[in-house]
Amino acid sequence: MPESPSSTKPAPVVRIHDMDFCYGSKTALHDINLEVEYHRVTALIGPSGCGKSTLLRCINRMNDRVVGARVSKGEILVKGKNIHDADVDLTQLRKQVGMVFQKSNPFPKTIYENVAYGLRVHGVKDKIAIDEAVQRALTQAALWDELKDRLHDHALGLSGGQQQRLCIARAIATMPDVLLMDEPCSALDPIATLKIEELITQLARDYTVVIVTHNMQQAVRVSDFTAFLHLGKLVEFAPTEELFTNPREKLTDSYLRGTFS
Amino acid sequence: MPEVSPTPPGTLGSKILRRGRRTVLGMDPQKLIKNFFGANSSIAIIVLVLIMVFLLREGAGFLSTYHHELETYRKAGLEFCDIADTPLKQQQTMASSLRRALSIEMEPLVKTARERRDAAFLFKRAHDEQNSDGTATFDASPLFTPEEKNQLKAELAALAPESTDLPATLQKLAGEFATKDREAKTKFKTIIEAEETFEEAAEPVAEILDELKTHATETKEAANEFHTLEAGRQQLLAAAASASGSEKADLLKEAELSKVEEPKYAERVETLLEKREDLVKALGDYVTAVEEAAKSLQSSSTHPEAAQLIASVEKAIPTHLADIQKASKDLAAWKWDEPVSFFRAVSSFAFGTGWITNSSWQDFYGVLPLLTGSLLISFVALFIATPISVTAAIYTNQFASEREKELIKPVIEFIQAIPSVVLGFIGIAVVGDLIKGFSQWEFLSWIPGFPIQERLNIFNAGFLLAFMAVPTMFSLSEDALNNVPRAYSEASDALGATKLQTVFRVIVPAAISGILSAILLGLGRVIGETMVVLLVAGNRIAIPDFSDGLGAIFQPAHTLTGIIAQELGEVSRGSSHWQALFMVGILLFVISLSVNWCARTIAKRFEHPKA
Repeated sequence: MPESPSSTKPAPVVRIHDMDFCYGSKTALHDINLEVEYHRVTALIGPSGCGKSTLLRCINRMNDRVVGARVSKGEILVKGKNIHDADVDLTQLRKQVGMVFQKSNPFPKTIYENVAYGLRVHGVKDKIAIDEAVQRALTQAALWDELKDRLHDHALGLSGGQQQRLCIARAIATMPDVLLMDEPCSALDPIATLKIEELITQLARDYTVVIVTHNMQQAVRVSDFTAFLHLGKLVEFAPTEELFTNPREKLTDSYLRGTFS
Repeated sequence: MPEVSPTPPGTLGSKILRRGRRTVLGMDPQKLIKNFFGANSSIAIIVLVLIMVFLLREGAGFLSTYHHELETYRKAGLEFCDIADTPLKQQQTMASSLRRALSIEMEPLVKTARERRDAAFLFKRAHDEQNSDGTATFDASPLFTPEEKNQLKAELAALAPESTDLPATLQKLAGEFATKDREAKTKFKTIIEAEETFEEAAEPVAEILDELKTHATETKEAANEFHTLEAGRQQLLAAAASASGSEKADLLKEAELSKVEEPKYAERVETLLEKREDLVKALGDYVTAVEEAAKSLQSSSTHPEAAQLIASVEKAIPTHLADIQKASKDLAAWKWDEPVSFFRAVSSFAFGTGWITNSSWQDFYGVLPLLTGSLLISFVALFIATPISVTAAIYTNQFASEREKELIKPVIEFIQAIPSVVLGFIGIAVVGDLIKGFSQWEFLSWIPGFPIQERLNIFNAGFLLAFMAVPTMFSLSEDALNNVPRAYSEASDALGATKLQTVFRVIVPAAISGILSAILLGLGRVIGETMVVLLVAGNRIAIPDFSDGLGAIFQPAHTLTGIIAQELGEVSRGSSHWQALFMVGILLFVISLSVNWCARTIAKRFEHPKA
């Protein structure tokens, strides 16, 4: 880490500064300012269509896949580096910023190959290094004990919850600094959800997590900081406990009470 | 249905109820529509079953008919003659190789003398006919010195108009050629003698065989006549059995009249067997003579092509002699009344190397040359079409911009609209000449089979069929790639893979089942194609000569589909030839079915859940 850990407040790992984002001519995010701290879980909440997923996808430039989508103002810094600079290598950025999707999407390959994929595309050829990384990633994703004897089974034979944890293992195999999660539990049953939530708390020891969720209880359970978005604007950003118990903004308060118009 | 309506008439509720009660042809309209659709889908199945039944009915009799024909072939003694005749046919190819080698060797020695003589005689004719063109050619000829030209002209001018004498110069030129020719013949005496011994050695055998063949053919014709009349008689008897009164009597009488004796095979075959010893002895003499000739056949040749020809003959002689000796043994062991096993009819069809029809000797229906032709052409087509269509599909699906897609897809799919007979024109008029032209180029001579002899060949047909298979394979591969869930490429992108890595490590492997079945369905399309192969494949019924390795694909061939199209219109219904063509049809049907089945199985095996 280039930042000095001895300073009183470490520099944020992700810093979004005065950012506007638009799809073609339609502006989706207005004037976003957000700082994500090291080894903390930051939750993005808000009603459907408020732009929380879009904001998440700005951080690893997944929005580049969409024709006409662009950041029209401001900047996003990951570890102090503007991710839209011309000399930024997209593959390196995505190695730094991993992502887990709403619906589990393991590749139609074996469990081992799924986890090893990120390493392979980044040119790792050493078999032992890959073996170690696979074991570490699966252990951190709380899958190693369940799956260590069937690493070469097909990944699509796993249960929904296991598949989603496999996707987490796949994302952390390349040791990213930031892990983005886009409603990772929305397609899972309560028990699988609980496991993932436990996992997120543990992952925060090694990684910085940004999670989008539509479930406010989940935000309370897993996150240290919460950002509330509404109609493309960041309404309030505060430590989770503070935001939920004592919101500064009226809009936040009415959303949390469910008396939202 | 109870006719009690709980709602008063005229309200919306009653209208809806009444609608539900309406019937068409005594049936609920929904049921009717459902049944109509169901019937349509079952029509497809019924038609398929009917096609199979029809093919089987026409082709089923083939094996027993063919078995019967092969039995006659044996009883009449045709088989006996063929035992000796078939290996002797190799002798003719060898003799012609020797003759070609000889003419190649002699050519440089006698060429000038012959050309001088021929030019002078042509000039004499031109002079006689007062043809000024001929005179001009002679004046320009570099073969003669000016003095010689003037002398010949003077001699011709001095000749009396009606004289048949030859001028002195012409006589001299003829003499020169004769001398040169004699010299050359002395020089290559060994080859000439070997070639002559070679041809003469076969004469006694051929003499005996000719006699036997005539006899056997007579027996066979008698047998065929008997079978035809006997079949007619059986029909009359059957008709008589169901008729009554005077009609029955007439029919019985007619049947009695058409009764003929079956040829006495045992008696007739005696003639052949009497000659058996002579034939075996003649074959023995032949072997000795050929061995003798082979010894003197030294390839002292200087010309590479001639040396190659002679070497090939030298190499072929031992196997040829072994074949002849085996034939002698077979002749000794041959029995006319040994029953022909039914398996022989099957194997003779499935593995027979000759498709010989309308022959005055014996028809054979061996499907192997047609099958190899069809398979070779299909594989050439597959080999060309697969890389083109799969890479085009990958490009279109993954890399092309929207505008490019709008151009590429319709254009490739439009190829399908080209009538195959038009492609046949292109094959004959353009592709054939192009391939032949390319094959003449020196720097391409490393390709086996180059330079090629025939414009119409397997490669040409395969090339055009590849063109026809591309749209099918492209569209289906593109569909397969399109069906790969977006979530896969999204996940791969998020892990930092480049576009190429995503395509080749995730998308293509996920679509591989679809791509494989696209290739197989393309193969099915190619095997069944008829018009192009009929026009372009060259239609030579022979198994390509694989001695040149892959060069075999530049030889002409015939195909399963082509033979049906070509011959079915001309054979009499129900004959063994007709049945044989239906058997070929069944074989094609089975091949297409299994290719389709494989495509389906592969598609199922690798199926992945849609995410």
